[in-house]
Amino acid sequence: MIEVNNITKSYGDTQAVRGISFSIKDGECYGLLGPNGAGKSTTINMLSMLFAADSGQISINGIDVAKANGQVKSMLGVVPQEIALYEKFTALENILFWGSIYGVKGKALHNKADELLKWVGLYDRRKDLVKDYSGGMKRRINIACALLHSPKVLLLDEPTVGVDPQSRNLIFELIQQLNKEGMTIIYTTHYMEEAEKLCDRIGIIDKGQIIAQGTLDELKKQSEVNDMIIVDCTQTPDEKLLLEKLKATLTVSGNTISILSEDSKKDLTRIVNTCTEAGYEINRIDIQKANLESVFLKMTGKQLRD
Amino acid sequence: MMLGLLMPIILISVFSLAFGGMGKGGEKKTELLVCDEDKSAITKKVIIGIDSVKALEVTETTTDSAIRLVKTGKYPGALILHKGFGDSVNELKSLPWEMKYDQAQSVEMQMMQQYLAQSLFGNVGKMMSEKMVMKNAAKQFAGMDSMSQMIATMQMKKNMESSSKDMDNLQGNIMRIKSSPVEIEKDNAGIVQAVAGTAVMMLLFSLTAMGGRLLEEKENGTLKRLLYSPLKATDILTGKMLSSIAFAVLQLLIMFTFSSVVFGLILWPKIASVLLLIIATAFACSGFGMFLASIVKSRDQLQSLSTLAILSMSVIGGSMVPSFLMPQWMQSVGHISINYWSIQGFFDIFWRQLPLTDIEFLKKVGVLFLFGTVLSTLAFRLFRKNVTSMA
Repeated sequence: MIEVNNITKSYGDTQAVRGISFSIKDGECYGLLGPNGAGKSTTINMLSMLFAADSGQISINGIDVAKANGQVKSMLGVVPQEIALYEKFTALENILFWGSIYGVKGKALHNKADELLKWVGLYDRRKDLVKDYSGGMKRRINIACALLHSPKVLLLDEPTVGVDPQSRNLIFELIQQLNKEGMTIIYTTHYMEEAEKLCDRIGIIDKGQIIAQGTLDELKKQSEVNDMIIVDCTQTPDEKLLLEKLKATLTVSGNTISILSEDSKKDLTRIVNTCTEAGYEINRIDIQKANLESVFLKMTGKQLRD
Repeated sequence: MMLGLLMPIILISVFSLAFGGMGKGGEKKTELLVCDEDKSAITKKVIIGIDSVKALEVTETTTDSAIRLVKTGKYPGALILHKGFGDSVNELKSLPWEMKYDQAQSVEMQMMQQYLAQSLFGNVGKMMSEKMVMKNAAKQFAGMDSMSQMIATMQMKKNMESSSKDMDNLQGNIMRIKSSPVEIEKDNAGIVQAVAGTAVMMLLFSLTAMGGRLLEEKENGTLKRLLYSPLKATDILTGKMLSSIAFAVLQLLIMFTFSSVVFGLILWPKIASVLLLIIATAFACSGFGMFLASIVKSRDQLQSLSTLAILSMSVIGGSMVPSFLMPQWMQSVGHISINYWSIQGFFDIFWRQLPLTDIEFLKKVGVLFLFGTVLSTLAFRLFRKNVTSMA
């Protein structure tokens, strides 16, 4: 369905995307996981044809986007990272406007608008001004506005930023439902749990490049990571000292040390002894089974929240 | 900060130059056309005398040409020395001369007449008063021998002993210049200046604010969403421009209708010309607003830049101070402003009563369309070029 082949993009001297390639099948939910500034939004903007890639090729449904811009855009629904709504209009007015921009008209538009408003749980508040909505409600309308024209592909750029947990879960449910109905979804996020929960396959992106991609199991296998040992100290440990002593992949964030381990039983004693020798008082130790966070740490050398 | 410092300086400069002349010693020259139908030695002498007045810039031309030039607002007035002028001076008859002027520039005319009076009375007046003395002397010393007559006449001339009644008659009747406007206008020039000047300036502010809506869309993310849609960047900008133009046309129509109803501006017989000029003005102002929006990064920047630009254009273009009050060089500078061409266009319609097909009027319409075309083309190009940063 979507083929991205070695695309690059620079803003002046800054190379935001440095040769990204991936392909997405019909009906797949593909996640782009990476920290802020990794190149996720730039990639989405190139996929959605906001601007062209400096080099490389993107094709959607076999159509080269560089040659058939308008035709491809009609197939895409884009949920931008910002809440892109007219706050002085009501939710219904926003939905009707954005639907008309995509060529949906008349009764079909109104019916679809009602359907989407019910689907996102805001039908009763449809005549309220968007400026009176909470952040979560705005995010839901933000998503609904991208679906009026029944796109084949939905691009979501960090759709849950600044949203309360309840609305977040509702958004997850909506996305899962869309994917179940066969919509192809590209989802960018810097929250690992979102990527784990929603995505069939994940591309880990950092500094403009895809470090690794695949299903969660494939990524775990690729990174050869099993466990993560979390050590909570009473004071801030010296990361350099620990790296020298332990010779493991680890990060220090505040008073917490996160260490990747292929065999936590074997490594635990060594870690505790090293911390004690260094004079660090340990509050708590936690062992987590390999997950996306540990995969990310192994592959990039840092935690996602860094 | 630039606004707070530059703007007062610009305003002070323009008002000072307009009302105070050149400041240190320099005088604003008033242009005057002179038509010599008599082609006598006396008229030539008169013209030389007028030309020597520093405050006047004299151009000789034919009467028909002069009337056309005054009618079209290029010159404030024309002094016509009709056939028989020289003979009338010699015979001390009422002088056949008249002043034709553009009533839209009546203030300038008054200034010109003061300069003229000095020159003419010093020139023609002197000639005629000498002749008057000779005539009186011939009467008074009729019985004397020629030598005595000559001596007495010279003495009289020296003392310029024409009677005060004679001098009054000379100045009040014989030398009186008949002044009339090129046409009897029905609309008040002051109202035309007030309406046109204010309308264009306010329109520039409104349409720049509408251009700011594009920046507002950028700031609230909706511009990005529009660019994600099948709409092209040029479609979006065209839509914005068309809505701006529609709004502008409506705004101007309301202003002129209001002026017609309340101040008696005669609108409806000239509605075709008015509509054409309104559309041209709207297009130019809309292009200006879009252009400004395309070169700034935020609404704050737009507000600062637009205030500076619009006030400057309004000042030099004649929205606040009538152009004819400004020095010639400033009037020329005013040509770079949309205000100038629009205001002069409205003067063509309401004051000079030029028809829709008059080339002078159409020229102003053409310039306004050119402004709109150039500015909107630049805006489109900059918008497309900067779409990455726009989004």
